[in-house]
Amino acid sequence: MNKPHLLTLLFLAAFSPLLAAAPPAKPADDGERDEYAESTVIADPLERVNRATFWFNDKVYRFLFEPISKVYTTVLPKVVRRGIDNAYENAKYPVRLVGSVMQGKLDLAARQSGKFLLNSTVGIGGLLKPSQKVDWTKDLPAEDMGQALAKWGVGHGFYFVIPVMGPSSGRELVGMGVDYAANPVNWLWIIGSGAEDWAWIPPVGNTVASLPEGLSRYKDSTKDAIDPYTSVRSTFVQNRRSATER
Amino acid sequence: MTTRRPLLGVMLFALTLSGARAQQGAVEHLKQTIDAVLHEADRAASHEALGKAVRPMLEKRVGFETMTKRAIGPGWRQFSTVQQAQAVDLFTALIIRSYASKFTPGERPVITYKGSVSTQPQRVEVPTTLVYRGSQYAVSYRMELTDGWRITDVSIEGVSLVANYRSQLDAAFRSGGAASVLKALQKTNNT
Repeated sequence: MNKPHLLTLLFLAAFSPLLAAAPPAKPADDGERDEYAESTVIADPLERVNRATFWFNDKVYRFLFEPISKVYTTVLPKVVRRGIDNAYENAKYPVRLVGSVMQGKLDLAARQSGKFLLNSTVGIGGLLKPSQKVDWTKDLPAEDMGQALAKWGVGHGFYFVIPVMGPSSGRELVGMGVDYAANPVNWLWIIGSGAEDWAWIPPVGNTVASLPEGLSRYKDSTKDAIDPYTSVRSTFVQNRRSATER
Repeated sequence: MTTRRPLLGVMLFALTLSGARAQQGAVEHLKQTIDAVLHEADRAASHEALGKAVRPMLEKRVGFETMTKRAIGPGWRQFSTVQQAQAVDLFTALIIRSYASKFTPGERPVITYKGSVSTQPQRVEVPTTLVYRGSQYAVSYRMELTDGWRITDVSIEGVSLVANYRSQLDAAFRSGGAASVLKALQKTNNT
């Protein structure tokens, strides 16, 4: 019999039905329902490797991304950065549309479409967000494929720390792949246009533009943490669960 | 029977009304607490000074003992009375330091209070929206009625402060008991 491929094993383990749902909260010693008991639980059999990757990522964020972020926020005025953030968010409309439809949130999908149309036209290609002035399109939650998979009952599977990118899980990795493909910012890159025709600019620009917010969230999670690795893992699990329950 | 039904209705209405008033009290309590912190934040020379200035007020309005107990989890029962008091003191200092560090004098967040939702008897969630430096966050406060309303947890974008520390302190307890938890809290406070 052929040896099962390592990736197959990882895939099966990552989507084991046993890990699909968190067990109910156990009662605490004083009889009170202990709702915090299982709220941050995720299988982490690769913890030693994950901790090493986390350490590496921390150095990358501190010594490479922070200086880039500092230059970006110093060189570009806030109003320009806001416009760039808005445009990238607007471009991600297919990600939100697919995420909404896959979760059966058709009303939200319609509202996401309205928001995209409004921001793309009145908002000058998404640089402005007139959608925030209209109740029907205001403050719409970001939807993604990871949420849809969770809604379908797919469990997290293993916890992974991806080099440079940070925390993820079996389920979220698949979700991220679909979201990446659905994001027009990456389309030129995906269809094979090389660096010589500037296809790399939109995704790299997207990464740089997202650094200030991403680094701020990372710092919030690690500052004042007793164990930064566990804190980030807990933040990831809770954040994804909250997005799914929304 | 015919006279009892209206009476029952009035009683239920009165109960609902008193429940609604109690919940409104929680929102008012929260508003007053946050306003008081923001007022101090505008005057404080540093985050450390802000932490010192707001601690006495927060100790009356935040259920730090409840938060510490839940952040430590089942291991709490194995702490001696002295260790429990130490843990509450250290965890309170950590939470206040962390909270104070988020404020910058003169930069006031815009907070929208969205009422309150009763989760269990004597417990409410108060969802708010906070806009700070151009970014919007969903911040929800858990409050419990004991000898007055007390804040017992804060969730930012679905991430609970207590749950986050539970994952860390529970691991510390399992590795070395109460002494390990106290050492970890002390070390974090000193960094």
